[in-house]
Amino acid sequence: MKKTPYLFLILVLFQGVKLSAQSRFVKDTLDVSGDSVVVTATRTERKLNNLTVPVTIINAKTIQQNGSLRLTDILKEQTGINLTSGFGAGIQLQGLNPDYTIILINGEPLVGRTAGVLDLNRIALGNIKKIEIVKGPSSSLYGSEAMAGVINIITDATMGAPLTMGLRYGTYNTVDANLETKLQTKHFQYQGFINSYNTDGYSIRPNSNSRVTTPIDRYSTTQQIMWDQSSQTNIVLNTRFTNERIQNEIAVANNGITIFSIGKENIKDVNASATINHRFSKNLKTSLRTYTTTYDAVQNLLTINGLPYRDVLNHNFKRIENQTDWDLSKKIQAVFGVGAVLEGVKSSRYDSEKVRKQNDIQYAFTQWEWKPSEQFTLIGGVRFDQNTQFASAYSPKLSMLYKLNPQHQFRLSVGQGFKAPDFRQLFLDFTNAAAGSYSVFGSAQAQQVIAKLDALGQIGNLFPNYYLLKALKPEYSNGIHFTWDWKINTLSAVSLQLFRNDIKNLIESQQVGTYISGAQIYSYLNIGRAFTTGFELEGKHTINSNWSVNGGYQYLRTGDKDQIAEIKSGTVYTKNSQGYSRLMKLNEYVGLPNTSMHKLQVKINYNSPKGYYLNLRATYRSKWAVNNNNGNEVFDNGDVFASGYVAMNSAAGKSFKNGVSLQAGIDNISNYIDATNLPNLPGRTFYTSIKYQLQQIKNNKK
Amino acid sequence: MKMNLRKITMGLGLSIALVACSKDEEIIVVPVSAITVSNLAADTVTGLGVDGRPQSAGTTTYYSLVDNKVIASTDAASTKWDIAFSSTKILVNSGTSGPGLGGAFVYVGLFDALKTIPADSNFATDNANAASYAIPLGSGKAWYTYDGLTTLISPIAGRVLVIRTATGKFAKIEILNYYKGGVTLPATASVNDKLFKQRYYTFRYAYQPNGSKTF
Repeated sequence: MKKTPYLFLILVLFQGVKLSAQSRFVKDTLDVSGDSVVVTATRTERKLNNLTVPVTIINAKTIQQNGSLRLTDILKEQTGINLTSGFGAGIQLQGLNPDYTIILINGEPLVGRTAGVLDLNRIALGNIKKIEIVKGPSSSLYGSEAMAGVINIITDATMGAPLTMGLRYGTYNTVDANLETKLQTKHFQYQGFINSYNTDGYSIRPNSNSRVTTPIDRYSTTQQIMWDQSSQTNIVLNTRFTNERIQNEIAVANNGITIFSIGKENIKDVNASATINHRFSKNLKTSLRTYTTTYDAVQNLLTINGLPYRDVLNHNFKRIENQTDWDLSKKIQAVFGVGAVLEGVKSSRYDSEKVRKQNDIQYAFTQWEWKPSEQFTLIGGVRFDQNTQFASAYSPKLSMLYKLNPQHQFRLSVGQGFKAPDFRQLFLDFTNAAAGSYSVFGSAQAQQVIAKLDALGQIGNLFPNYYLLKALKPEYSNGIHFTWDWKINTLSAVSLQLFRNDIKNLIESQQVGTYISGAQIYSYLNIGRAFTTGFELEGKHTINSNWSVNGGYQYLRTGDKDQIAEIKSGTVYTKNSQGYSRLMKLNEYVGLPNTSMHKLQVKINYNSPKGYYLNLRATYRSKWAVNNNNGNEVFDNGDVFASGYVAMNSAAGKSFKNGVSLQAGIDNISNYIDATNLPNLPGRTFYTSIKYQLQQIKNNKK
Repeated sequence: MKMNLRKITMGLGLSIALVACSKDEEIIVVPVSAITVSNLAADTVTGLGVDGRPQSAGTTTYYSLVDNKVIASTDAASTKWDIAFSSTKILVNSGTSGPGLGGAFVYVGLFDALKTIPADSNFATDNANAASYAIPLGSGKAWYTYDGLTTLISPIAGRVLVIRTATGKFAKIEILNYYKGGVTLPATASVNDKLFKQRYYTFRYAYQPNGSKTF
């Protein structure tokens, strides 16, 4: 007890503070069942089968048995999720780009997106308790970015072994080492975790020495402290620090000019949070959360002709938030929240890398849950975000659950999500001297900058779009999700989900003028409208006490509504195989690029009572459009597609009673390679790992 | 009424057909047929420079739409040629490019659907000094787009280059392909193929020798 104040102090000094009340009261569940507790969907603890929105839980056992090291490894094997490449590995959820999914660690958002993409390889999975994925707009609780959904990575100090060590070695000299400690007393729990990941990278491009994934050294450490200050009050502290060093060998081709560069990239990512939870009574509790995070990326390159290139991005985010949960009666429960965010970015791509661009956000949200009977639950919520840099946003959501009987459950949710214009869209001040000296100016200062250039006589033409520049509005989506869960019997269950997202105010770069030289000037406008729709079918079946199988399929259609209108009005052309132009037909339209119509995955599991396990996972993704090659800017059958493919992974292992467990695995068994479109998929790789857990101690929380 | 109408239209059709038959030899306006020119080399690449740019001799290929043949570059300062190609740049015999009456504009639509050049069309001429050409240079400006990722050039669907020839007559052109043999290279084509198979024009054109704007 005496030591705890010191630790508290150390953690506060270690870059601010972070909060995470949520994982505190969660029971250890190795297998996902209807009783598994979910915190992300409602920001309160609810059992999975009492939720009104679709949620997927990935637990520690699945992560471990799949041999997943980084967040991308496990997400790419989920229904409705595809990996994207370019600016790191992001995820596409139900057809929506990586910018539209918010990534949380213990409820607090990660920052540091490049071109909207958060590189999920940053996140090590060694100490994760579970991952919760909420599909559908969730801005009513989480604000900006929670348009396609929410992914929350949850760690928990209250359970597990006091000491865990793991070491893994694989192809390309990939070494991953973990050390985790847990200390638990009656009122105090501590978890410390260190991960180191080193790889030589790999080259799958023929005739090229430039590696697709470059040599990487990654270190990350997380600390979690939970302290029961009294029976009513507890305090949770989290810190996370990652440091990445990447060696770059880059070939950049621009307008036919290829420039080779070598250099180094250093990324530091620090997060810290502190939460105080206090329960006033059985019906009323509150939590105060503070959070700060900084993402700092520096890239130093030297081009082959000796020119240095430096790219700097520094993003910080500070938040304070209060949430109060009030159970008015057994039937009505309410949540109230208020918060404030200070967010700033410094970048070499803005007018000055020394001046921090700032955006302040204030928000409030409330959510009301009405449960008139055991069969029926209705939740309504709304959030309002106000800020200094762009128009404010209002995000309502309504969702319901109907349990027809123990076999059949129906969920329906309707909500609005939004994504605020990011700093790049507001403040970019970038002129590409290597490629025709075109410029891109963020919308917040484009008119000002261009007017200045005009006064200097540098502007040739101003386009009509220039006069349309104004404060950017957030991008909005309206999402509808309908889910039917059918528990056929104790061995089998299926789930069908229908979804549709309609997006408006999409922010796109548009030409607003030209320089005297004819070089283009671009800025950002709210212009696009799009949709994604489809269904997901998931099922699991237990064959016997050892064998089980589960799988999921997603059917997806997407489209740009303005392009569809143009096709209908007969102003879009395409070319036949001889090169002759003709009018494009609507049925030739394939929708948004990088989206696949079909995705299927199947997993076969074997678990023996003696601790042996084996799994085989296969993922199929159908073709997706990557490039337009008939100049019509609309994707049709005649364009360039990446081929559909199957990736198969397998892992096997044994856990011994003395705490040792061994694992070996093969990823990409069929050695499928597509260097152009799937740079994140190396050829066949092998790995083996050993893990030691000091004997499990009992969870001292009941 | 309906009956009458049908009779009238039938009658009209018949009379036109009769006129057409009887005056077959004298008809002046015959639809001009399209000619396809394949594999016209236009300053093809000789190698890759140390700066990463494709290198070439900087030549221009001159072409007569009237005679459907390549004109020697020694005749560049004559009205023998109508249109000229040098990598993605297309010239017309006008302004700084040649002494002819040439001109051009880019029509958005289909080659076959362009039956008559609209009366209010504005034919531009070449002015190399101001980097201004009748057929504008650059990706997405006139007839092609350039993809920085695949480094491939694609003709834009639904673009017709309307040409006024060196002698002031009219023609229309659709660029079909920019690669050797008229075969679009796949995105995965080798760097060598992308380098050495580019700058071979395949295009179709229709030339109206009678001086009218109707094809």
